[in-house]
Amino acid sequence: MNKRHLQCAFLLLFGSLVSCSQPSLTDERIELVLWKNLAGLEEEAETAALISQFNQSQRKWRVRAQSLAQAGYDQSVVAASLAGRLPCIMAVDSPMVASYAWAGHLRPLDGFVSPQALAPVSPAAIGTYSDKTYAVGQFDAALAIFTRRSTLMRMHTRIPTLDRPWSAAEFETLLARLKASGSYRYPLDLFTRDGKPSWWAYAYSPLLQSFGGDLIDRNNMARAQGTLNGADAQRFGVWFNALFAREWVSRSEPDDYAFVKGRAALAYAGNWWAPEYRAVAGHDLLILPPPDLGHGVVIGGGSWQWAITSGCAHPDGAGAFIAFMLQASSIAAMSDATGYVPVTEAGAAASRDFKPGGKSRIFFELMRRFARQRPATPAFPAIASAFTLALRDIMDGKNVEDALDDGVDEIDSTIADHGGYVLGLKP
Amino acid sequence: MSGHYAKVRRHAGLTPLLFGAPAMLGLAMFVLLPFLMALMLTFTDQRLVSPESSRLVGLRNYERLLSISALVQDPERDSAGHIQREADQTPVYVRVRAITRSQPAYRGYRPLGDFHFGTRRITILAKDPAFLQALCNTFTFALVVVPLQGVIALGLALLVNAGLWGQTIFRAVYFLPVVMSMVIVSVVWAFLFNRDLGLFNLALSKLSFGLIQPVDWLGNPSTAMPAIVILSAWQGAGLQMLILLAGLQGISQELYDAARIDGASTWQRFWHITLPGLRQSITFVLIVTTIGALGLFTQVDVMTGGGPREATATVMFEAVRHGVREGDIAYGATICVVYFALITILILLPHALLRRRLRGMP
Repeated sequence: MNKRHLQCAFLLLFGSLVSCSQPSLTDERIELVLWKNLAGLEEEAETAALISQFNQSQRKWRVRAQSLAQAGYDQSVVAASLAGRLPCIMAVDSPMVASYAWAGHLRPLDGFVSPQALAPVSPAAIGTYSDKTYAVGQFDAALAIFTRRSTLMRMHTRIPTLDRPWSAAEFETLLARLKASGSYRYPLDLFTRDGKPSWWAYAYSPLLQSFGGDLIDRNNMARAQGTLNGADAQRFGVWFNALFAREWVSRSEPDDYAFVKGRAALAYAGNWWAPEYRAVAGHDLLILPPPDLGHGVVIGGGSWQWAITSGCAHPDGAGAFIAFMLQASSIAAMSDATGYVPVTEAGAAASRDFKPGGKSRIFFELMRRFARQRPATPAFPAIASAFTLALRDIMDGKNVEDALDDGVDEIDSTIADHGGYVLGLKP
Repeated sequence: MSGHYAKVRRHAGLTPLLFGAPAMLGLAMFVLLPFLMALMLTFTDQRLVSPESSRLVGLRNYERLLSISALVQDPERDSAGHIQREADQTPVYVRVRAITRSQPAYRGYRPLGDFHFGTRRITILAKDPAFLQALCNTFTFALVVVPLQGVIALGLALLVNAGLWGQTIFRAVYFLPVVMSMVIVSVVWAFLFNRDLGLFNLALSKLSFGLIQPVDWLGNPSTAMPAIVILSAWQGAGLQMLILLAGLQGISQELYDAARIDGASTWQRFWHITLPGLRQSITFVLIVTTIGALGLFTQVDVMTGGGPREATATVMFEAVRHGVREGDIAYGATICVVYFALITILILLPHALLRRRLRGMP
């Protein structure tokens, strides 16, 4: 038995060696290594299909993709950068673009991806830092309120539209009615169960922005003081705490299926939940814009984006690949396969689900009208962490002013430690 | 013969070293060296992601971690000199953060806790109250979980050693949680602890005929840590049970027989034979459990994220949060080094005291 195993192992090893060396014998093309996060099976398969299309269309370049688990992706990139072993093309989560660009891991796309290819892309899907473009997404995501038409009818509540979303008062009235109906212990699922700072910043900072506040003063990206703890932000904090104090939202649902299982009447969730929700609610499902809490509807913008690393020996090849991924046909294929939102009008028009009248068109409209990028600053990881900590404390009843002040101090001292993230000006 | 003997003797000093070398090398490479590197990091502002090389910042990290101060406040008075009071008669004070955030002397300080002295309010301030809170949480956790887990393990060991029917099955059942991944255990227990649908609240409600209201185990600052203590004791007790079981089976049956002949009760046999016989095993179990308890991280990370209101944040959780997730590896290293020093002192201090007392004896 043991011997058999050994033989197998040798065969495998030999086989893999042969298969590794084979392309270099017959293939004269230059290999470009690509790193991506493992977001989902559909996305994985579609990216692989697009890469093989690109490789077949190419005489000069050949892209070889490696997928890394999304949970440890950032750590992998940091480790690889310390070891000087970053790949040529890299998927980067939108809020991390500025951080990596500042650290010198990325090179600007100028000259490698043509301005014509970038022009039609929705602004939230473009990763910029200090006036240079470093990354561009092939798709974006959009958050929406999911509910059932029958529920709203029963609650005598107006169905909101993109042009006339719910006001804060309408939204609260609906939640109060749902709670009073007795059918729902917690009528709204905000997915607070997921404690990751990246999710909290993505999902709840748009609500803060809809109140008129923000994570940081975007004019200078240097101070959170006065913005994250300003009057608007404090009103947001009080409102957010009330959602939990009134038991409209559970601080932690036991699972992710509150809406699917009918425990919650409304879900504040991303486009990636649409297939599951369609399956349970069918034609009764409504996909609605989040409420306008005073300063217009806001949803988070920017998903995973393609970037070229500074160590890449063949940035023109990487640029050719990114331009290929931005073609309308590639974007449409990706969106139809995965349900992610196309980032160009042409891509949406070429798509089955996102063309005008398509079943997922709403997400494209939400993204185009309401998406706001997270602040493009290298301080973002610190901002997300501080914001999440403050907001979780507010959820659990800490004094709003104190919690926000603490968050602001955390962010501002981190920025000061880095000399405002201006190169060469570290104190 | 004598020559050969002398040769062996001459090499005796070297041989143990030679045999120990591989292990020593491993320890030096993977424990000592990383620790020294971490120690060096604590004097810098090294970041995980940064375009600039790190600089020496002296003791800044230590100062931020350990600075403590206090703020004494008199209540606010109105124009007539009377103390202003809230609706519930407590005096009104200026907001602590209004002072700490405006006065340079208190810059960077945050309140850790407060108490009243007459009408005065004294607020303890710290530059990193979260760390001190985490330190307190971790030691509380260790202080509760170590005896609890030890007692459970001893009870289980006695039970499966009693010669009852099916003891092999029970032995396997009690050991099962140990081989499960802590992440999976934590996820499952988070379900069990759920306020509205969790098994514990359902059971409590049924058993008390609805008298006990549902407890938000992980959502309430006062129950979150006890919940984690229960889970951890349950998960870890199996391993300790196994060690104690081995110890139990090492106690000679003759002692029990002799005691029985002398008419010793069950309790006397346990107190005078079992416990003394298990002394070495119990010491080992206590040390291992304490080490595990002081490194508490996974349960917190999976189940509560350090909340609610930092009630379950632990030192390891803070170190990972600052060092890895926020990328401030120098500060994370400082937390670890200070924690290491604290634990070392805690272990060496009783030792040193004991030795001094022994030396003082005639």
